[in-house]
Amino acid sequence: MAVAANIETLIVDDQRSTLQLVRSSLLQLGFKRIRECEDGEAARLLLETVRVDLIFSDLNMPRLDGLGLLRAVRNNPAISKTAFIMLTGRTDTALVQEAVKLGVNNYIVKPFNLATLTKKIEAVVGPLT
Amino acid sequence: MTSAAARTHRAPQRAHPRVFLVQGEYWVSDQAGLVVSTTLGSCVASCLYDPQARVGGINHFLLPHGEAFEGPDAVRYGAHAMELLINGMLHAGARKDRMVAKLFGGARLSAHLPDVGGSNAAFAEHFLRHEGIAYLGGSTRGVAARRIEFWPESGRVRQREIPNFDGEVLRAERRPRPPAPQAGSIEFFED
Repeated sequence: MAVAANIETLIVDDQRSTLQLVRSSLLQLGFKRIRECEDGEAARLLLETVRVDLIFSDLNMPRLDGLGLLRAVRNNPAISKTAFIMLTGRTDTALVQEAVKLGVNNYIVKPFNLATLTKKIEAVVGPLT
Repeated sequence: MTSAAARTHRAPQRAHPRVFLVQGEYWVSDQAGLVVSTTLGSCVASCLYDPQARVGGINHFLLPHGEAFEGPDAVRYGAHAMELLINGMLHAGARKDRMVAKLFGGARLSAHLPDVGGSNAAFAEHFLRHEGIAYLGGSTRGVAARRIEFWPESGRVRQREIPNFDGEVLRAERRPRPPAPQAGSIEFFED
């Protein structure tokens, strides 16, 4: 069983509204250690100095997009095993397939509800307590 | 299909190409002379414009409401509709920090029904504030339906109120409600 409160989480999205929605959902699920970045490059730099267990990342972002961030994570031996869930739109099928090739752990299609978010997280980290 | 459908291809090459937008759609263009028009009752249209890139985009959305759509899910749906428009603008060369916005619609068409239009307008205003997109104004709420025309390449908007609208607006807004937010039909992972 994964203890939500102990999971170091990072949300990466250039839409502040989405950051807030994901954060509030994670808080409802018991997550407490939540960081946010507004693009992939900021996240990549943060990950050089901070330990993160689970990343939620948007696909479409300026500077470094979700695929670029995923690639950077998987290519860095120090953090390559970090769980990575992609936040996508319905029209991003080809990009999701690319993310699968790069080793994404799961993906969530926006807009999503709390039940879907829970299901996707538990598929990656195991049942939450 | 719940989310806004992208209609970003070039309009037919006519002297004054015109596109009609319906609920759940958005359109992004930099095509000179193109006009996008839509009819709004309680729905809201967000018109975004980047004056430097001369790219404009418009959506037409109605927050889902009713028992299946309590607050957070409605907000998720609305935020996603706005995100699709913004992403379309970015792909067309706009930058978010240069975007300005105008809002239209959100009328209360019946005093006997909940003020869905007011909720739509409030959501859109809050979204723009939250995202740091300058709100230049527009025309929201009230009791009259509106017909607007938007020129994406210049950001210009023209509005005409429809004081004694017939059933046209209500018919447009009584289309099937979008289903509850959920994961897509494609699955790459076992749950």
